[in-house]
Amino acid sequence: MKQLLLVGSPNSGKSMLFNRLTGMNQRVANFPGITVDTSTGPAVGRSDLLVVDFPGAYSLTPLSGEEQVAVDAFYKLLDVPVGHIEAVVCVVDATRMEKGLVFALQVREACRRAGHPVMIVTNMHDVLERHNQSVDVEGLSQRLDLPVIPISAKSGAGVDQIITRSGHGIEVPKSELKEDLIAFDSSAFRNLAESLANEFGPQGDYLLLVHNRVDQFFLSTLTGGLSFLLIMFLLFQAIFSWAAPLMDGVESLIGLTADSVLPLIPSGMLHDFVKDALFGGLGAFLVFVPQIFILTLIVGFMEDSGYLARAAVICHRPLRAFGLTGKSFVPMLSGVACAIPGIYAARTIESPRRRWLTYFAIPLMPCSARLPVYGLLIVAFIPNESLLGGAVGLQGLAMLAIYLFGIVMALLVVSLISRVKVGKGSDLPFVLEMPPYRLPGAKTLGQLAWSRSGDFVKRAGPVIFWVSVVVWVLGYFPNQGANLGESWLGAIGKFIAPIFEPIGLDWKYGVAIIASFLAREVFVGTLGTLYGIEGAEEEFTSLAQQIQDSGISLASGVALFVFFAIAAQCVSTLATLRRESGSWSLPAGLFVGYGVLAYSLALMAFTLIVGD
Amino acid sequence: MSQFKCANLWQMKRGIQTIIEGFNPALDASVKARLKELGFHQGARVLCTQAPRLGAPKLYKVGNAVYSLEKTIAECVIAHPVTSE
Repeated sequence: MKQLLLVGSPNSGKSMLFNRLTGMNQRVANFPGITVDTSTGPAVGRSDLLVVDFPGAYSLTPLSGEEQVAVDAFYKLLDVPVGHIEAVVCVVDATRMEKGLVFALQVREACRRAGHPVMIVTNMHDVLERHNQSVDVEGLSQRLDLPVIPISAKSGAGVDQIITRSGHGIEVPKSELKEDLIAFDSSAFRNLAESLANEFGPQGDYLLLVHNRVDQFFLSTLTGGLSFLLIMFLLFQAIFSWAAPLMDGVESLIGLTADSVLPLIPSGMLHDFVKDALFGGLGAFLVFVPQIFILTLIVGFMEDSGYLARAAVICHRPLRAFGLTGKSFVPMLSGVACAIPGIYAARTIESPRRRWLTYFAIPLMPCSARLPVYGLLIVAFIPNESLLGGAVGLQGLAMLAIYLFGIVMALLVVSLISRVKVGKGSDLPFVLEMPPYRLPGAKTLGQLAWSRSGDFVKRAGPVIFWVSVVVWVLGYFPNQGANLGESWLGAIGKFIAPIFEPIGLDWKYGVAIIASFLAREVFVGTLGTLYGIEGAEEEFTSLAQQIQDSGISLASGVALFVFFAIAAQCVSTLATLRRESGSWSLPAGLFVGYGVLAYSLALMAFTLIVGD
Repeated sequence: MSQFKCANLWQMKRGIQTIIEGFNPALDASVKARLKELGFHQGARVLCTQAPRLGAPKLYKVGNAVYSLEKTIAECVIAHPVTSE
């Protein structure tokens, strides 16, 4: 199958063009060891032509380790025998030609040397036309000795010309543009791009003037700060509240499927396995998919509209003090709803080091799955009293304190790690291009969110399935699920009981903590089962009363709070970290490290309170 | 030799246009190369379009694109002002 390689600078409209060319029949594939997505898909009307969409790049001279891998992948594809690549299509934003042409000239030179045909596609002509501007396509084509096709990926105008021209065969550019380009001198490419843009590109800074006025609003200390808070509030609401009906829908669908399937399976081990491991374990993970969809939809909107870059500028300074970057804010905020979409959102951080530091911060954010646990412990240990004449509830204050504790811990831990540990990969300075403000296409956004959500399920699902199976087996045998306390899981809980004894917790809490590895909220249900209360998730008061009656002290309760706020990462979080980081070393190290830290601080809290 | 006193990009206020004179030798070579590719080369005209307060990165227009540079990078780009808008 012949290939059509799509390359170009970030924000040149490459992904939209890819969707136009393929009709979005794409599958997302990762090159080994990297998190940069390269999409592939057959061209519409040309099943013999595979379109490959490379990540946006400013240069073929890489700055970071990740860029290096992406550029290496591009060069590797250029190594195929002549004739296998129908054309390398370099997409250039026609409204900002100078920037795009630097990369296009490098690609032209690389293709000329490798003997592959190349064409330049100048995108966004619809924007130029609105401002009575144009590109001298013929002149540029003659000067560069390659086809130049004007298109609008948004409207689709001219897109068919790409396939038509490449299908008829394109000559490999023969002429060397300048002698100093042979050495890949960046200054030479820059100078030539500047003169070409001045000669053949649109004239004037009409777009920049408009964007500058909008920037004055979004980046000013007052209006910029307020609009940022409003947008983040909406994002948070969307993930937390707007996704809820969709999550309920998925949960109901899983419940209906379970109700239809389970009666068909005779009672016994298989029935219990399908019920608890499949519908219970894997089902609990699938419930989070709508959150991923909503998050990718909104982050995609912020990204495509050009706002995400401005938000990163606003947040950069305060987060930089903790070793993070402005782009860490959205993933961390998403982590308050659920760590999984938060980790996923960290993809927008180009710097590998900052992205890793953000990975360290997200699991410490107080996610929604911890809420039932905190709710139970608050009811059990904090009296339902009010302060300031009833204006402030003590229990609500405790919840706020727990949330703040998680956020402060995340920032402190990351700050410490950023000073001690160098982190994986190289660091990138905060040099960020401000993309023009645009109204994103609804169809493109929807398709992208759908594709990313599906990709997430395909990749994280199998890991979560197998861990669910292991936890289920441990909890089911050897007594066929009759008594969780007598199961292998119970035995492990009793075995590790001495670990929790110093903070005044018995084996039941050990079992609940192990079971919460499946999902944090499982802690409540497991504890309820061990105390003989069915439906403990809804019966907080009964279970809280049982906990109080068991004689557990306030010191143990606070220690449990501290432990749960830092440790007990769920399997979905670890699996997603494994998927995004490309290895088990990060999730394994984080699980052990945060476990030790959580235990140490819990013991410290217990000792301090008992000492008082 | 320039008649203006040399400064760095970070010192430029909003609306000030500058000409780049060079780079601080302490700047990493790969970062310098990337800045040059983006248009921050010797002799290039750079306009500071936004200078948010509280130490946030500043926005600079070079060619027909706008980039935000954090303090540590902008301080390494030596420039002198030519005009103000």
